[in-house]
Amino acid sequence: MESPALEDAHLVAETLAGNQVSFQLLVERYQERLFALARHYTRSAVEVEDIVQDSFLKAFKRLDTFDHRSSFYTWLYRIAVNTILDALKRKGRSPVQAVEDPEVVGRPGPVQGVAPDAGLEREEISRVTHEALEHLPEIFRTVLVLREFEGLAYQQIADTLGISIGTVESRLFRARARFKDKLLALYPEFSGE
Amino acid sequence: MTTMECNDHLALIPGYLDGELSEAQAAPLRRHLLDCRGCRTAAQGQRALSRWFEAELPVAVPPGFAAHVARRAFAGDTGDGRSPGASAQPAAARGEILQFVLHATAAAAVILIVVAGWLRGVDLPAGSDLRADDAPPASLEQVLGELDRLDGLDRAERVPAVPAPVAPVAPVAPAREVRER
Repeated sequence: MESPALEDAHLVAETLAGNQVSFQLLVERYQERLFALARHYTRSAVEVEDIVQDSFLKAFKRLDTFDHRSSFYTWLYRIAVNTILDALKRKGRSPVQAVEDPEVVGRPGPVQGVAPDAGLEREEISRVTHEALEHLPEIFRTVLVLREFEGLAYQQIADTLGISIGTVESRLFRARARFKDKLLALYPEFSGE
Repeated sequence: MTTMECNDHLALIPGYLDGELSEAQAAPLRRHLLDCRGCRTAAQGQRALSRWFEAELPVAVPPGFAAHVARRAFAGDTGDGRSPGASAQPAAARGEILQFVLHATAAAAVILIVVAGWLRGVDLPAGSDLRADDAPPASLEQVLGELDRLDGLDRAERVPAVPAPVAPVAPVAPAREVRER
């Protein structure tokens, strides 16, 4: 049995040789992850599908440039994130909505905990989380999504966004603080104080 | 109470919770968290925040999505220049059709101009008495006579031939002729 990376490499090679079924298998392998990723940025199912479709089509177009230095998954994610950010720009949403420059402003204090109530249903937690996320500047939302939902390591986030690990670390720290502030602004009852 | 040592450790807590610290960095932090109630509370608080991200709902991928995308990819769709949304694709298609019509019209106009220019240069017969045949002009009498002749030929072809009258058959008496000889 081949490892996922070897299987990816094999499917990429087969796709480049003109095998449509191999590309279909690549899409099947990662479609759920990209749908989950895109869903964090828009509530429109049509837009989510368009974004994921465009991401795969762009990946196909550039497949011969995939040099296997990173995993196929990381490479595909980079394309998907850029496609999402492009789509948001076309919709008139700036990737940076914050007045401050997050790379310049100093760090806030430690992020204190705000946990969801034990009685909250899964759907309710998800709805509240996404509502708070929607209010974050895109650069903060992206690192949170990649780290918290997708479970990417700092290095993978850095590779995906083309930034340094130090920037990932500081951006993530501020993103968490912003998320908590927005959560409490929207739902003060979760402060637990 | 937060000390200088605490500030150093607090800065490491997010990386520690994200599993990004080396063991050389994590081990002293773990020891500190055991001893320091304030930093331990901060770590617990940050861990609690991540629980908001654990309630991911299942993703519903449309049936046949992968096959559809693969077909489009191999059909040459690059996914560029198209904004998400249901109306984007028809608009793009309409633009392509309009562009094609404009190009085709321009090409047809160029061809017409070239052909017209070529025709002007060609040595064509000219004159006021152009005819389709080389025969000299005929008089009215000649034309009427020719028409009568053609009518006569036409009638002759149409009238069926009258068969010749059949002669009565004489009785045959070969035996008698033989006896007279």
